[in-house]
Amino acid sequence: MEEKSERIVSTGKKHGAKSFFSSWEFALAIIFIAVSAFCRAISPNYTPGNVLREMPKYLGEMFLLFPMAFILLMGDIDISVGSIVCLSATVSCFACNAGLPIPVVVLIGLLVGLLCGMLNGFILTTFVELPAMIVTLGTQIVYRGIAEIVLGSGGSISLKDTSGFNALAGKVGPFPYLFFLVILFAVAFAVVSAKTPFGRSLYAIGSNHNAAFYSGVKVQRVRFIVFSVTGAMAGLCAVFLTSTLFGANTTTGNGFEMDAIAMAVFGGISTAGGKGRLAGGIISAFIIICLRIGLGQINMNPQIILIILGILLITAVLVPNVSSKINARNTKNKVLTRK
Amino acid sequence: MDLWNVTIKTERKARGYIVADNVLELKGITKIFPGVKALDHVQFDLRRGEVHALMGENGAGKSTFIKVITGVYHAEEGEMYLYGKKASFRGPMDAQAAGIAAVYQHPTSYPDLTVTENIFMNHEIKKHGVIQWKAMNAEAQAYLDQLDADFKSTVEMGTLSVAQQQMVEIAKAISMRARIIILDEPTAALTANESERLYRIIEKLKKEGVSVIFISHRFEDMYRIADRVTVLRDSQYIGTYQVSEISSDEMIRKMVGREIKDLFPKPETKIGGEVLRVEHLSRTGYFKDVSFHVRAGEIVSFTGLVGAGRTEVMEAVCGVTRASSGKVFLEGREIHVGCPSDAMRDGIVLLPEDRQKDGLILSWGIGRNVTLPILRTLSRRGIVDVPGEERVSKKYLEEVGTKAVSIFEPASSLSGGNQQKVVVAKALAQDKMKVIIMDEPTKGVDVGAKSEIYHIMGELAGHGYAIVMVSSEMPEILAMSDRIYVMCGGCVTGELDHGSATQEKILALSMSKDGPGRENGKKEAVANA
Amino acid sequence: MPEQTPEKKQSLWKRITASREASLLLVLIVLCALIEIRSPEFLTFSNIGEILKNNAVIMIMSLGMLCVLLTGGIDISITSTLALSGMTVGMLFKYKVIQSTGLGFLIAIAIGAACGALIGVIVSRGGVMPIIATMGFMYIYRGLAYLIANSQWAGADALGSFTDFALSSSLGFGVINNVIMITILCYVVFFILLKWTKFGRSIYAIGSNREAAEISGTHVARVEFLVYLIMGLLAGLCGALSVTVYSSAQPNMVLGKEMDVIAACVIGGVSMSGGRGSVGGALLGSLILAVIAKALPLVGIDSIAQNTVKGIIILAVVILNVVTKRMMDRSNLERRKI
Repeated sequence: MEEKSERIVSTGKKHGAKSFFSSWEFALAIIFIAVSAFCRAISPNYTPGNVLREMPKYLGEMFLLFPMAFILLMGDIDISVGSIVCLSATVSCFACNAGLPIPVVVLIGLLVGLLCGMLNGFILTTFVELPAMIVTLGTQIVYRGIAEIVLGSGGSISLKDTSGFNALAGKVGPFPYLFFLVILFAVAFAVVSAKTPFGRSLYAIGSNHNAAFYSGVKVQRVRFIVFSVTGAMAGLCAVFLTSTLFGANTTTGNGFEMDAIAMAVFGGISTAGGKGRLAGGIISAFIIICLRIGLGQINMNPQIILIILGILLITAVLVPNVSSKINARNTKNKVLTRK
Repeated sequence: MDLWNVTIKTERKARGYIVADNVLELKGITKIFPGVKALDHVQFDLRRGEVHALMGENGAGKSTFIKVITGVYHAEEGEMYLYGKKASFRGPMDAQAAGIAAVYQHPTSYPDLTVTENIFMNHEIKKHGVIQWKAMNAEAQAYLDQLDADFKSTVEMGTLSVAQQQMVEIAKAISMRARIIILDEPTAALTANESERLYRIIEKLKKEGVSVIFISHRFEDMYRIADRVTVLRDSQYIGTYQVSEISSDEMIRKMVGREIKDLFPKPETKIGGEVLRVEHLSRTGYFKDVSFHVRAGEIVSFTGLVGAGRTEVMEAVCGVTRASSGKVFLEGREIHVGCPSDAMRDGIVLLPEDRQKDGLILSWGIGRNVTLPILRTLSRRGIVDVPGEERVSKKYLEEVGTKAVSIFEPASSLSGGNQQKVVVAKALAQDKMKVIIMDEPTKGVDVGAKSEIYHIMGELAGHGYAIVMVSSEMPEILAMSDRIYVMCGGCVTGELDHGSATQEKILALSMSKDGPGRENGKKEAVANA
Repeated sequence: MPEQTPEKKQSLWKRITASREASLLLVLIVLCALIEIRSPEFLTFSNIGEILKNNAVIMIMSLGMLCVLLTGGIDISITSTLALSGMTVGMLFKYKVIQSTGLGFLIAIAIGAACGALIGVIVSRGGVMPIIATMGFMYIYRGLAYLIANSQWAGADALGSFTDFALSSSLGFGVINNVIMITILCYVVFFILLKWTKFGRSIYAIGSNREAAEISGTHVARVEFLVYLIMGLLAGLCGALSVTVYSSAQPNMVLGKEMDVIAACVIGGVSMSGGRGSVGGALLGSLILAVIAKALPLVGIDSIAQNTVKGIIILAVVILNVVTKRMMDRSNLERRKI
């Protein structure tokens, strides 16, 4: 080679105001404001104070959003999280009713979730040929099934002594502990996904897991870790859910996986893997939570709320797909070559 | 039923008349994509029963041209004449109906369905809407027999080898009464025996008046079966020549447009001590009892026919797959490699054979591709140092001479040669490297970029790295290697020195295993440059 | 050469295990035999008839799921579609809007087809992953079913003559029960469809290699759309059937049973990634599932554990598929002369 060519001209990337305003996250922020206005309009009870008071009921689900985003980034999916929440909540209630101190109960809840997640991870990383969808479809049935067996013919359990869980639901000013915990995890997951080698490896696996493997990424180990963490976070969600419901039954956690996926996808994370950012998911989570609170305040039929959420999920995936198809048609014949 | 005669009769009926010689003629074809002229007034003509090679560097416009012929693209300027009549295709189905069929490198077949179904997909034999399986199976079998296939039409496509699947694709083209068959890099994945079988099929097609266009990078294909060759360069038509009248030197000159002096610069390097030693490595079903060693500053080649097991050996050494038995020693110390990151930690790096599938993340920028393996070293307290990362990637990309606008350019937009350079840069960026294993480093890379890659290899050897090159191209093996290991059927059949290696010896070792079913007869490959 | 040369004296055992359908038939026979030993009233005509009637819904929907899975998709909204159409028809009878059984079936099928068509459009044209699309619709359609029910339900008296359908054999030449007859008809139709029509083969093609199908002129989007429409149509049919068999229409009917349908297909050898599977497999899979449900109580496993067992069966079957394939690959490798 005669000379080392200075062929690569610029290292700078577009930053600044223009790219911020055209980002999906900004659009979501606008939608959030619009939804809040809508809720205020239909329900006079929709005040910041009331909202904060009712938030804990739904806030726990955000614990599912963070790891689900990681899973989607890798190009996988986990539809068993709702059932893990159910099983974990059930076991926690039994532990609490057995008189165990609340820290132990929390630990047990986390442990159950972690074990479920690890089982998912184990099956997926040992039998790599199996797609995540079918495995978590199967484990979803098993975990809820175990909860059904444990709950017995009654199908539900209530806490005899709610003092321990009440402690969890404590507040600092108007903000529940849960709120701070959610912020903590949000920041942690966001930093990991955007700024660490582990986070980068998630994107690599989602974009091309072969190339990631050849480049030294321990693909199966990363997958195992993410699925296990998902289980643990589901356990955390279950613990806080119990602190608001004071019990568990066979339908606990129903639909949580749909919520988590909806939040993530609405937030810009692609189900194909390799694309998207956590920040969007967090904003869209708040959108969904506020919508739920607002609709709940006017006593809207819970079934209708589920319908709306179903529509939301589908729109969330449909819109980016359709718009990218339109984009692709516009740039169809663009071939990037230089001479 | 003589299938070949039937096809000619249908052709007569469909076309109305047949003009004497030219079945296909294209004039002044220009195809423009936003910002780039992919074809610039290209002309081409194809005679009945002719085998016509289409050659040119990567990016010269061959694939685009083929896509115009098969109706995938619509040219902005120019005309196409089919049997003397002006033709314009609205899409690939029109071209198919006109008797033009293409067989691509990556078989577009249905692995779970039978050969018969693959052949007759979308033109099944039906009576009142009901599929006639018996008739279809029989007719498919007839086509296969014409092609001397060694499998039945009722087997599942997924159980066939690449060469067999290719045969099915050709049978499919025949079943659709194609009179013009286009083959895109047909011998790229075939053994010598399979290539020979393909040549025979092409000769048979020729005898029946079918015209064949094929794209290939291999001069031996061209010299073996082509009548004429058309050269494209930089989207332009350079010329059409009788194969018998043009030498390979001249071909290169026409393709590249400049003299390539010193295509293979291997500087004299001081050979150091042993760096990598592999002893009795085996992997059930892939290779057995493979032993070799590489010293610092050496370039060692692994060659053999496709399927000999070379890539599998290298993947086992680098941890991509697990060997069943054997030992690997690095600088005298035994190492256990369970995954690629283990190998990288020890200092062995692999440039995979399929750079687009395994070597690069095409949607990522080239900078991020380069730094993916070394992110941990580029991080402080767990957080990636992005400015530092960008500096490092820029440095290595420039060192290998990558032609790109910025480190954020997506890898998918680079040419084959440039992509390979990115993969090399990725390997270089991992310091502490001792051994670099390159699997087919110049496959799909045009002549100009090839010489640049050889330069890089020579420099690396000069710096004391131990280099292993897996290759199927005789010229680069003979010119660049200090030593050559030849494999056949999963075993190392011989080791040759640079001085004493000849093409004949290598070929002999490539086929030297005793036993039934071994490859035989690869005709003289013409030496390039 | 990688192709297996057929061994001349291939043992009967080997040939049975090579064919998925044959192995399943063997399993079914063995299971039935074991149950018959434990509980001798099992293999009587009336008992078998009862089992078939009670599982007709699962069996018919397995056909629809088979088609969906063959294209590489999935549909978990089928029970919601069933509930929606069944509930609607139930309400229509309750409020005397319709009286005729035939009309009831027609309306249920139409609703089901509409539900399926909507899903089909979203998946085939909107590019939404089937699992996500059908997850959303699972809640949408179920919610609609609750809305239509409006906290009521339709019982046997409300349904009137509609419930007689399940008891009579008018369609079955006076011998075979109506419900079973419909099941048989469906299986015959789908058998012909999948093996002998171009549409049927294109379903396999799309699942086997989607890009190739697109390039070679198959209307992939259209076939995909139709497959979900067919699934919805069958779900609608089963909605009406469910109401007439159980003499009631409730918004929570067949909740959770979509997993049974998927389990039946999985057991029957249908590949989740598309391209492999057969009507025979779906039939045997659903029969085996039905028989297992009968067998569990005999082994002392409560009905409360049924779901867990089904989940474990699904996991076990797919894992077994993987393990068998790995073993086959390994033995192929060992046979290679190196």
